[in-house]
Order: sequence, then structure tokens, then C-alpha cells
Amino acid sequence: MAVVEMRKLTVIGLNSSRNPFIHELMHLGVVEINSQEGVVSDEDWMPDIFRTSNSADVSRLEADIIRVSTALEAIGKYDTAKKPLLITRKEMGRNEFTALLNATQTETEMNVDKAVFAYKNITDGQNEINRLRSSIAGLQPWLKLDIPLEMNETEFACVVYGTTGAKTDSGQLMAAVLEGVPSAIVQEVSADKQQKYFSIICLKEEKDALYEALRPFNFSAVSMADQKGTPAEATHHYEKEIEAIEAKIDENAKVLAALSTARKNIEFLYDSLVMRRDRARIVGDMLSTDAVFYFDGWMPAKAQPEIEALLKEYEFFYDIQIPEEEEEVPVLLHNSSVATPFEAVTNMYSLPSRKDIDPTTILAPFYFIFFGMMLSDAAYGIILSVLCAFVLKKYKPEGTIYKMFKMFFYCGISTFIWGALFGGWFGNFFTVAAATLFGKEFAINPIWFNPMDNPMKLLIFSLILGAIHLFVGMGIQAYMSIRDGHPVDAICDIGLWYVLLIGLVLFGVGGSVAPALASAGKVMSIVGVVGILLTGGRKKKGIFGKITGGLGSLYGITNYLSDILSYSRLLALGLATGVVAQVINTLGSLAGGGVVGAILLTVALVFGTIFNLAINALGAFVHSCRLQYVEFFGKFYTGGGREFRPFERKTKYIKIVKDRDR
Amino acid sequence: MVESLFSGEFLALLGAATAALAGIGSALGVGVAGEAAAGVVSEDPNKFGQVLLMQALPGTQGIYGLLIAFIVLVKVGLLGGDGMVDLTVAQGASIFAAALPIGLVGIFSGYAQGKAAASGIMLIGKKPSEMAKGMLFAAMVETYAVLALLISFLMLNSIQL
Repeated sequence: MAVVEMRKLTVIGLNSSRNPFIHELMHLGVVEINSQEGVVSDEDWMPDIFRTSNSADVSRLEADIIRVSTALEAIGKYDTAKKPLLITRKEMGRNEFTALLNATQTETEMNVDKAVFAYKNITDGQNEINRLRSSIAGLQPWLKLDIPLEMNETEFACVVYGTTGAKTDSGQLMAAVLEGVPSAIVQEVSADKQQKYFSIICLKEEKDALYEALRPFNFSAVSMADQKGTPAEATHHYEKEIEAIEAKIDENAKVLAALSTARKNIEFLYDSLVMRRDRARIVGDMLSTDAVFYFDGWMPAKAQPEIEALLKEYEFFYDIQIPEEEEEVPVLLHNSSVATPFEAVTNMYSLPSRKDIDPTTILAPFYFIFFGMMLSDAAYGIILSVLCAFVLKKYKPEGTIYKMFKMFFYCGISTFIWGALFGGWFGNFFTVAAATLFGKEFAINPIWFNPMDNPMKLLIFSLILGAIHLFVGMGIQAYMSIRDGHPVDAICDIGLWYVLLIGLVLFGVGGSVAPALASAGKVMSIVGVVGILLTGGRKKKGIFGKITGGLGSLYGITNYLSDILSYSRLLALGLATGVVAQVINTLGSLAGGGVVGAILLTVALVFGTIFNLAINALGAFVHSCRLQYVEFFGKFYTGGGREFRPFERKTKYIKIVKDRDR
Repeated sequence: MVESLFSGEFLALLGAATAALAGIGSALGVGVAGEAAAGVVSEDPNKFGQVLLMQALPGTQGIYGLLIAFIVLVKVGLLGGDGMVDLTVAQGASIFAAALPIGLVGIFSGYAQGKAAASGIMLIGKKPSEMAKGMLFAAMVETYAVLALLISFLMLNSIQL
């Protein structure tokens, strides 16, 4: 339950040892470096201090990275090997990595060039094929024409090709043309849904008269003189070309497929380039003079010894300070290993601000309980946990993905527990199966009770859980008020509400346990109401403001009511899972017993379970989040912290670890 | 003829049918969200998984309607029983009334949630890291469908046959 304490670090070092130092800093990966943009604005200093600009280096590396990633993408497209679901970074020692890179770099660079070249050939070829295909399509209506296209005139005659709308009457057009230009020979080559295609031969000197005669028919001339041979010949020729290009593409695709063996090395090269780019770029965030460089940034207090050791080794000047009260400090969360996966929930909302506490540890048990109650089927819980455990073991995901899978692994356990308590094993599958297939009575008895039989009991239980959740949230707010030196706020805004809400509950239902509880509840309620009325407006000015403030504050009771009722979804979604499972099982049992019945039951179980588990796990996830974000966080949490982003290796394919001893 | 329209059995089945109408809301909602999803995927096919989850969110109303319809059918003995039990008009009408909340709320909340989900999908298009918030906005709408489901269920559960 903690936001990691941060220290502010300021360093001045010699330019001569800057590069190896940045290497080491990246290796440690615990310092966030602030950008120095706009820091030096004093005219007197300007000429001597400059932000080291090595943007040329950066953009050169950037271009290299794009080239290599193009190569990777190209190889990936033609790699026939199965692609893993999640990319797992390969672990590798630092020296091992450097050695491997040095040994293979020249060859890998060549392979990258080869891949990029082949890929370019393929895309060029595809573009060319597209162009040829559209030419062929353009010639399609003219296939019947037996005049070579490049021959559009003889000594005395010329030929005109063109189209008109499909509704043009060909007979009328021909008559009109012959009337204006008696020498013309009009031929309708073909027609489709949109257009009619004509070729017209006439004497050269009558060409203008021809166009004149054609004008009423919206005739538009088509020029095809840039193509050779008759349309049929040209088409044939283009098809040959396409075949040739396709062969070439195949050849290049084979080159790319063959390169898939070199893929690993190209990935290493990619990572090394990214690291070099990041190192070059970080220099731009520092200030320099001719001899020294300066930077400042943040680091976790725990990392102080190793950073100090590094700085002493390089004999740099440095200063480490505790951040001031009002300073904005980047946020890094650190929780116990069990609660860590639930950081994903906190992260999705917003990181805690400087004034908040990290809510992860407190929300974790509630999230665990709520998710399980909403899914509440023992068999589904086992499936969920086993799936997550499998992914965690096989792919070893990192970061947020790891947290999510681990969290769902825990949630699966909770689902199993609640499912067993409520007697849900694939809904009522085993009861149905026993009845339809073997004609026997069989039931897995719930350890606690079946919510379908007694929904009111579970509804009340859900609301009680909700009340506890809300009270914990309010308690954190009270704790924060006291911590910040406002104990009066804690008593008036939280304490009185505790008194009122508990009093109301006792007043309402305590009487059935012992009459004294009801009267105690009555007193507590009155104390609470009066207290809230009197103190609600204590920060307002004037008697009027104080009265309305008190009333407004008391009106807040509707919020508590709706907050608590919101937890009824724990029951509703739990029922939804159970009933959908029942629907599936009932459908499966429709064919009765026997082999067919058994098959139908199995099929319904498999597909129904996939569907029900997917849709309801999504629902349980979303609604558990909602209860945390809206009801729980609403009581105390503001969020808005900035994530701590250390200067580290952001590699995609390899994870550099400490060198193994050999 | 008219009498058969007001028999208990018919009213109960009308209740089951009304509950299943919640699917209208889901169909509209999933449709609206799907249009937005296709738009986002046309820009970036890698977001398919994320937007598909969002598109599924307004689908729950239809399922809730199905649940209530199913419970009604089981209750009157049409599913898993020995044929339909005889119902008085009052019983049939009660079952019909119990089905109304999820039927009506399902239609409107499903559509409204679809619109919220569509906006959430646009949000993913611009800022994929904020997906959880987009989901939450859609889930806020679903609350009311959940409440309606709960009331329908509690009403049905308390009707004695």
C-alpha cells in the first residue's frame, strides 16, 4: 500500500565521460530525466549553455529503425511459422547480447537490405499488376474490335472510339451520323449496363461534322492510341506480363520466407538500434557547455545507493533532495506481491496524486470478492484460473498484461469459492445430465445456499458487503483528513455519517434482534441528523449559508442510498450467470437421453460455456471496476498522478538481464 | 376467442415475450457500436480486439430479457416441466407485470448503452490506453438494466402459483 518515495536528483558531469555514463544509467533504468526545454532563458547565459542537439544522430537512427522494422514486417508476412499469442521477450545477458550483436551485425544488415529490397519488389510488382488489371478491364468492352489500337488514321480516313449512355438508341445515333456524314461507318462494339461503345470510321475532313452530329447523344471520345495491337492482342500481352510479375513476386516471397531464419538476429538489431536512439535522444534533454553537462530528474529513494555509487565512480557532482510539499512528483506504485496485480485496476482509473494514498491494497480484497460473486460458478472459476495460469507459465507476459492475467487468476479462485458456496457447477449441469442421461436424481448441494431459491437473502448480503465497502472508503477519507491535520473534518464529514447510517440500520432492523438496539439506533440517527444539520454548513459564511449548507449536506443521504443499492448488481449478475447456464443445460437436454442426447448435451455445454463465460467474465470485470471507481473511489480518491517513466531500455524482443556466471 | 386472449396462460406467455423484447435494445445498441467499431478498425485493424469487447457491452440487455423469459417459461411449466400449469387471470397478469421492467428498460437502456459504447469506441480510436474509462461509461448505463432485471426477477420469484 504505497506510493514509492521519490528523490530529486541533480547532476553535473564531464562531457568526456558522458556516453559511458548514459550507458550505465540506462542499464540501471531507475532515473527519470526531466526535459530541459526552456529552462535557460537568461540572455547572459544563452551563448555558453546550450541543449546538446544531436537531432541528426537521432533522425539517422530513426530512419534505420524504420528500415529494420519494415524488414521485420515483411519477413513476418511470409513467415509460415505459427505466431505466438503474446510476444515474450527473450532473456539475455548484457555481454552475451553485445557479443552476439557484434558477431552477426554485418550479416544481419545485409539480410535487412535483402528483405527491404525484396519487399519493395513485391509492392512494386503488386502496383504494376493493379495497373495492368485496370488496363485489361478498360479494354474489355472493345474486345470485338479487330483494328490495331495504335492505328487511328490512314491517309484519308480516321477512326473515332467513344461511349454514350446505355439508354441511347443506337439506331437513332446511326441515322443521325449518316445524315450528317454520309461517308461514316458506325459500329456498335458492345454495350453494358452503363454505357454503349461505338467505333466510327469517316473521312478526315468530315471529322468535325461527325462530332457535330454526335453532340445530341452525349458522345464522349475515348483515346486508346497508346496501346499496341488489337484489344484482344493487347489483353493477352498484359496477361503474360502479369504472369511474369507474379512469378517475380513469388521469387521475392521465397527470399523473404527464407530470411525467417535470420529474423531473431534482425530483432536483436532492432532492439539495439532502439536503445541507441533512446540514448542519443536523452542527450537532447540535458544542458551542456563546452566541458560539462547537466541534468535533473527523479528516482525512487530506494535506488539512491546504486545511483550514488555510479556517480561517485564517475566523480560527477550531484545533489539529492527530498521533494518539496507542492512539487509534482512522478508516481510509482509498490505493493505486496499478492496485491500487485490489482494495480492494473488502479492504473486504469488514474494513478494517485501526491495527496492520495495508493488504494490498491485496500481495493484488492473487495475486487476479489465482487468478481467472484458476479461470476459465481465453481467450474467457470477453475477454467478461468487454469487458463490464466497456463498463459502466465507459457508466455511469461510482463507489465500490465502480466498483472491482468495474474488478477484474473486470483478472480478465478474467488469465482470457484463463490460457485461452491452457491452450488453452481456449470450452472445445474450435473443435475440435468444425471436426469436426462441416466434418469437419476443428483444434485451438488451448495455449501451455503442457492441464490435462486432465496434471492432476498443474497440481496441483503450484497448490500451489507456494499455498506462495508463504502464505510472503508469513508474511513480512508477520515484517515486522510486527520493525516493532513483536519480532525474536525474527519469527525463532521465522516464520523457523523457513520453514526447516522449505522443508527438508521439499527433503527430499521435492529428491533427484530433486541428492542434496545432499535432505541439505540433511534438515538444515533437523531444525533447524526442533528450533527450533520449543524456542521454541514460550517465552512459557509452567514446564517443563511450555514442553514442551506446543513440541509444540502443531509440531502447527501440520497447518494448513500443509491450507492448502497448499486451493490444489488452483485446478486443480479450472479443470477445472470446461473440462469444462462441453466438455459444452456435445458437446451442441451431437449433431445432426451441416449447417444444423441449425450452428444447434444456435450455440444451445448462446450459452446454455451464459452459464450457464457466470455460474456459474464466481461460483465464481472466491468462491474467490479465500476463499483471501485464510482462508489468506492468517489468517497476518497482524486487521482491524476503522473506515471514514473525512468530512462531505461525499451526493448521489444529481448530482456537484458545480469550476466550469467559461466 | 376474446376470452382466450385474457386467459392466465396467454398473459404469462405475453410476459415472456415482453421480456424477450429487451433484445431490441441490444440489437440496436450492438448495431450502433458496431458501426463505430468498423470505423475505428478501418483506421487501425490492430484495435479489433479492444473494440469488439466494447461492442459486446450493450449485448447484455438481450441476455437479461432472455433470462426473465426463460424463468417465466420454467415457472409455468413449459420448459423442463410436465406441460403448462393452469393459471388464473390474476396469476397470468402478475407474471406479465413482472416481465415489464426488463422488457421496457432493456429496449431503451440497450440503445442508450450502444451509443455510449460507440463513443467509447471512438475514444479507443484516439486513445487506446483509456479503454477502461470508455467501458465504464457504457457500464454506467447498464446499471439500470441490472436494476430492472433484479426487480423482474424478485417479482417473478415472489409470485405463487
